[in-house]
Amino acid sequence: MNDFSEIESKLRTLRPVQPSADLMTRIERALVEARHGESLHPGKRSTRLRSATARQASTAGVLPREPRFHFNWLSLGLGLAAAAALVLFAFVRLERPAKKTPSLAAITPAPTFSSANANAQFVPAGLTQVVYRTRDEGLHFPNNSGQPMRRVRSHSRETLRWRNPTTGASLRISYPSEEVSDVPVTGQ
Amino acid sequence: MENVATDENWKTCFSQLAPGLLLFARQWARSTADAEDIVQEAFVKIWRRNHNIANRGLLYATVRSIALDVLRRDSRRARRESAAVSESDQMVQPMFEVEDESQRALVAALDLLPDEQREVLVMKIWNDLTFAEIASALEISQNTAASRYRYALAALKKNFPFA
Repeated sequence: MNDFSEIESKLRTLRPVQPSADLMTRIERALVEARHGESLHPGKRSTRLRSATARQASTAGVLPREPRFHFNWLSLGLGLAAAAALVLFAFVRLERPAKKTPSLAAITPAPTFSSANANAQFVPAGLTQVVYRTRDEGLHFPNNSGQPMRRVRSHSRETLRWRNPTTGASLRISYPSEEVSDVPVTGQ
Repeated sequence: MENVATDENWKTCFSQLAPGLLLFARQWARSTADAEDIVQEAFVKIWRRNHNIANRGLLYATVRSIALDVLRRDSRRARRESAAVSESDQMVQPMFEVEDESQRALVAALDLLPDEQREVLVMKIWNDLTFAEIASALEISQNTAASRYRYALAALKKNFPFA
């Protein structure tokens, strides 16, 4: 290496061109902009930074590093799907027609809550009985009695409803029923 | 340097490294302004990725990578614009502050060096990198870096008339 000491020393006398005065300010600006998460396009960066430098003074003090932010596309997708499902569900609920209460039936009055069963899970909320067919089966003499009885057979559908006052959930049971009644015949 | 870089830290570091870094980038850039853009981009890139600015091997590797990207991009653009602008129209800017004829001849001899030798020479002479750091930045072995350096000096000695 000693053979090259002379040429090395001559090379060291060469002084590289110094950077322009605003380069440090430009870098400082770029670091500040990078901290704010601005996406810089390499092709456009320099010109924009130079003009920004001309307008603004350099920042001083501390340059905190930008927080590393990793965008999670999976979370975004799941969130959007959940939001869409929620909107769809609300739309379906709004579109559902109101139920008609049968005028034919005997409807029990709405129950009143007592403090005793306020904590019960489900409390009775109503009973609806819809009689949709009644048939007169004529006179009968039940149990060999001498008193004639008129037998009436009726078909109905009964619906029982319960409601949870704390959660608002409701439970409904509906079943058909048949009732046979003997009505005494008098006045003959 | 964990999460906070003060002005003094990076400004001191930058003022020490900037001339040599600029010269290093200037090898691939067509102008000093382009070289400054490359250095600026490298500094920001290093800073954004939380790398230590004192890791000179990484810093020079980053500058080199960005410079080569710019060179490729400019080459494509130059091909597209070759009909409009000729190379002779472009302003040639000096890489050194030349004071006399001897230095001018030395710069001319430097221009004749192969790129791979000149970049090692620039990193060694004007950036004071060790052969280990040069090898790290260029992804070559230390022996290769040292060989290129010796070949460069030998070529300069041969071509430099004032030696």
